[in-house]
Amino acid sequence: MTKQWGLKSTVGLALALALTTGVTAQQTSYKFGLAMPLTGGQATYGNDQVKAAEWAVDEINKKGGINGKKLEMIVLDTQADPQVGIQAVNRMISVDKVAVFVTAWSGVVKAVAPIANDNKVVELSVGANSPDISQLGDYVYTTFPLADVDIRAVANYSAKDMGKKKAAVLFINNETGIGSATVYRDTFTKAGGQVVAYEAYDQKATDFTGPLLKIRAANPEIIHLQGLVAESPQVIAQARQLGITVPITSYSGIYNQKLIEQLGAAAENVIATSLAPGVEDSPLVKDYVDRWVKDVGRAPNGLPYTQYLYDAPALIAAVFTSLDKKGITPTGENFRKEMLAIKSFDLPLTGKITFSEDHTVNKPVYLVEVKNGKWTKKAVVGQ
Amino acid sequence: MFDLAVVSQILWTSFATSSYFVLFAVAFALVLKVNKVFNFAQAGVMTCGFYAAYVGVRMLNLPGYAGFMLGIAGGVAMSFVLEYFGFAVLRQRKASAMFVFIFTLIASQFIAYAVMMIFGTWPTTIFASMFWPVTLVGGIAVSAWDMPAITATVTVLAALWAFLKYSRNGQFMLAVADNADLAELYGIQKDRILMMSMLLAGVIVSIGMFLYGTRAQVQASAATELMLFAVAATILGGIGNIWGAAIAAVVLGVVQNSSILFIPSAWQGFLLFAFLFFAIVLFPSGFRLPERRNTLKRTVVAPQALTDGKGH
Amino acid sequence: MDYVFTILILIGLFVILASSFDLVIGHCGLISIAHPIFYAIGAYISAMLSKQSGMPIPLSILCGGVGALLASALVAVPALRVSGDYLLIASIGFQLGLIELAKHFHEIGGAGGLTNIPSFLIKDFGRESYVVLVLVLAAATVLFIRWLTQGPYGRMMTAMRDDELAFSMLGRNAIWVKVAVFAIGSGIAGIAGGLYAHYFRFLEPDQFGLLQSSAVLTMVVVGGMRTTMGPVIGAIVLQLMPQIITFFNLPPSILGPLQGLLFTGLVLFFMFVRPQGLLPAADLWAGRNRDGDAGHSRKEARS
Repeated sequence: MTKQWGLKSTVGLALALALTTGVTAQQTSYKFGLAMPLTGGQATYGNDQVKAAEWAVDEINKKGGINGKKLEMIVLDTQADPQVGIQAVNRMISVDKVAVFVTAWSGVVKAVAPIANDNKVVELSVGANSPDISQLGDYVYTTFPLADVDIRAVANYSAKDMGKKKAAVLFINNETGIGSATVYRDTFTKAGGQVVAYEAYDQKATDFTGPLLKIRAANPEIIHLQGLVAESPQVIAQARQLGITVPITSYSGIYNQKLIEQLGAAAENVIATSLAPGVEDSPLVKDYVDRWVKDVGRAPNGLPYTQYLYDAPALIAAVFTSLDKKGITPTGENFRKEMLAIKSFDLPLTGKITFSEDHTVNKPVYLVEVKNGKWTKKAVVGQ
Repeated sequence: MFDLAVVSQILWTSFATSSYFVLFAVAFALVLKVNKVFNFAQAGVMTCGFYAAYVGVRMLNLPGYAGFMLGIAGGVAMSFVLEYFGFAVLRQRKASAMFVFIFTLIASQFIAYAVMMIFGTWPTTIFASMFWPVTLVGGIAVSAWDMPAITATVTVLAALWAFLKYSRNGQFMLAVADNADLAELYGIQKDRILMMSMLLAGVIVSIGMFLYGTRAQVQASAATELMLFAVAATILGGIGNIWGAAIAAVVLGVVQNSSILFIPSAWQGFLLFAFLFFAIVLFPSGFRLPERRNTLKRTVVAPQALTDGKGH
Repeated sequence: MDYVFTILILIGLFVILASSFDLVIGHCGLISIAHPIFYAIGAYISAMLSKQSGMPIPLSILCGGVGALLASALVAVPALRVSGDYLLIASIGFQLGLIELAKHFHEIGGAGGLTNIPSFLIKDFGRESYVVLVLVLAAATVLFIRWLTQGPYGRMMTAMRDDELAFSMLGRNAIWVKVAVFAIGSGIAGIAGGLYAHYFRFLEPDQFGLLQSSAVLTMVVVGGMRTTMGPVIGAIVLQLMPQIITFFNLPPSILGPLQGLLFTGLVLFFMFVRPQGLLPAADLWAGRNRDGDAGHSRKEARS
């Protein structure tokens, strides 16, 4: 008897909850979804990005929202896992009936693309950089430059502006690592340089002596590292310990204050790319970072990504405002049309963005370098 | 690439970094041998050991050695909880091996989530800096971390060996490992000994995590991956053979890192699984160290007829 | 509605997985947690066959099941020759090793995953048809396993689980029984994998790792081992619970870990307070040092 009751009540309760939420959903506010990793290995980034988006939504609502109506953000966990992401997005579309949602992490972005396309809901990929994102369908757009942009910039800069003739590439053996390493190698070679070492390391590795020694033996003038936040500092530490003193470039993953704390003098001559303006480039960014330090006690993890996530609600709000003024219902289809009609947006923390036919965006790449224990601006490429 | 300097550097660094793996493997092997449990919850103990040290050094601003002690305390505390509230209860209920195994798996996940909630998921080290100054010894870069790590590991192993061989409790432990019920008949308190071995394992892995966490970043999920290595070493070393596990851990670590001289770097990670696969298929009982013969040495030449009959 | 459909499909798939897993660890007493890898093998084989060589999907799903079955025999035969405990390590090694290997092969998508898997039924008959398909197959699986375990084969497995030595003395080959059951359970998981692949149309090696092993294990343990409806209830409860928690509007920063804590906490609670699961298999806690009890065969007929 008890087991029957247990089964029935559980299922019943669940369905009741699901239906109720759908019925009581209001239509007097504008909603969009945010599907981010709140748990799991990527949650450190995910949580900070969500916080940035939350701040943006608050700011927008403080300034009057969407013509007086509230802008609401529905946040769900994806764990950076495709299947969990699919359920989260399905929920947002079926239950919360959003017209647009923001998500990140290439695996999730790719997995939910069919859902966005089938339901005609706009998917904004903010932060994922896999090159095939531009080919995921009519309703999938990225506001973040895809993989090639920053790697190409740093490769060209190293070859042409820094005059390096021989480069080594060290990368983590996963999709992003392999993809970006290939882009770097091709670009550097095309710019007239020579890639003298091209080594991968395993995702679980804790000791990088082997690949580093191979690289050292090849005598490069500059090394490009494409790893994850988890082990990149160690790789750099070991490289310095093995006597490798040449500059090391990497992508924005290592661009944080912690790196300098962790490596001390070993962090000198480390160059990172950033796809968003830094504190020296824009007073708004400076205020933003100051607010982080004041309210949260530290700088955000993955600062440039959080900047993009701060701007995403601004972009969505702009489109909603336009739709509201014209009295058009905010369906996914209409959102997309309006977004493409407006085409160019001026966003607070990342500057201007223009949506193009091929679903890609182009942004200037900021290069920053550790000099005398501080991150300093080195150059801006592709303005 | 077969340059002497390169090879010696790889050998040295991989030897030094195998230190923490040895500790993880030995602890796992110890619990397997004495408690007869595949203690996957060791990942949880490792995580607690690390974060206890982290709290001590980074949040309470204690000096290194105090953080070290706190780390050990953390690991031991979690071991105690696991044994007292977990394994002992399941033992009392005569739970099946499957059940106990499921418990260890779920317990380690639970601990990981709890830690995630308290500390977040940002990878972090025990000391703010992970850079250790380097001195060149005959062309090999020896970092200031290497020697203390090796010394610590050797000390722990020596202490464990002495404990098992010479102390009463150590011998009781071996007795329980051999045949727990028989040991009880001889008056050895089985539960006390099993708790002791868990606590001992807790101490060992906490030291291991302190070593690891002063050199590399750790997050809640890191321990599970480190465990993989420990389990592989235990299998290769032979189930029930603590020292075999230790040696296997060193060999695995060195071979895995040296493999770059022979195979493309991308395949290094897969090597571990390849080893495990071959070990399971070809050497199910592990590589056995030659057994000591306990036979009496004959100092008198026995007549032919007698020796044939005895035949040893 | 898609939201509800997806949940129903996932419930159906996990019912298949949990039931087949219960066959392996519950009825046959094999200690293995590598079930998800056979799920993965079925999924990838079906996806690749239908995508690359245009094989009709029902056939490719079947091939996926057969592939998983053969792979499981590959693992079980050498491992079981040593001992039952060894199967645990061998299967974990196989699971993690294969995932690692899969990440190296770009032909099947590598670490980034396999995309654009052909879809099945939905274009012609809509999503509801797929839901029906999965739920029907789930029911069929449950019934099949019930038939298998209630009949003479079930009694054989129970005897083997009870006392393997006596079993082999009666002239039965314990190893072949174990291999056969392991293969059947894994083959069923492979078919479920194919069903998954053609609905979600995206596969990634990492999603079939230890986390999913844990999830399936939880479903069987919480639901109740060696009962017909136990794994079913386990699958339903453990699929719905996380979804329900998300409706409570908790702050995102603690939502995630809290969910995990509740999940694993629930399992631990069950393990200690009600170890037989929601639906008890009467023989589980008979006070002997191994699962099994002299009087169980009478009691088990009840469930």
